[in-house]
Amino acid sequence: MTHKPSGDFAEDQLRERLRSAEPPIDAGLRRDLWPRMLERIGEAPRGSQERLWPFAVPWFDWALAGIVGATIAFFPALIPALLYHL
Amino acid sequence: MNKRSLIRAYLAGICVPTAFLLAVAAGFTCLRYVYNLPLPIERVIVFPMAAVPNLWGLWNILFVSLLAPRRISVGLFGAMLPLLLAPLGFIVSRLLQFPIPAHVLAAAPIGLPVAMVLYYLAWKYLVGSLNAELEIV
Repeated sequence: MTHKPSGDFAEDQLRERLRSAEPPIDAGLRRDLWPRMLERIGEAPRGSQERLWPFAVPWFDWALAGIVGATIAFFPALIPALLYHL
Repeated sequence: MNKRSLIRAYLAGICVPTAFLLAVAAGFTCLRYVYNLPLPIERVIVFPMAAVPNLWGLWNILFVSLLAPRRISVGLFGAMLPLLLAPLGFIVSRLLQFPIPAHVLAAAPIGLPVAMVLYYLAWKYLVGSLNAELEIV
């Protein structure tokens, strides 16, 4: 008996069509990947700048820091009081 | 809210003043015992050593539990802390009969806004980053 159920036949057809549609997988390497790997190792890691200083400080905060610094410079008597409260 | 986020919020809150306290306590001790500063700093050192870090921790717990879900800025909330700390520090120094130098008292009206700005920056960039690092908010 070589009778195949219609479901199996459709499955075989589907498999054949998929095989013909997809290009064969090339298991071999087309080029040497090691130079690219060395380039990647040599590159600064992505986001390393953000790691060191993860904040994008807006100009407003820089201005506030400057005002505070100037105020403390003009009124050094503030320093012990600020240290006492920190 | 994450698992044990309130404990982590407390730890993130006390981290900054505790680390800073090392420098402050060393500076005060040097002034007092090396340069013989005629101020009994040891009477009031308990305030920056104990009260301030704990208040930072509790303030961060308040922020994480109540205000972070409402998208309120940690910097702005932190800037409100000197409004509590300044009178508290003054009361503690009065109760312990610590003679506040006249020039420090004279600078007090400028000191409060300066402290609020400093706290805003510290909370926004230091406590905020610790909160993010500990995945609290």
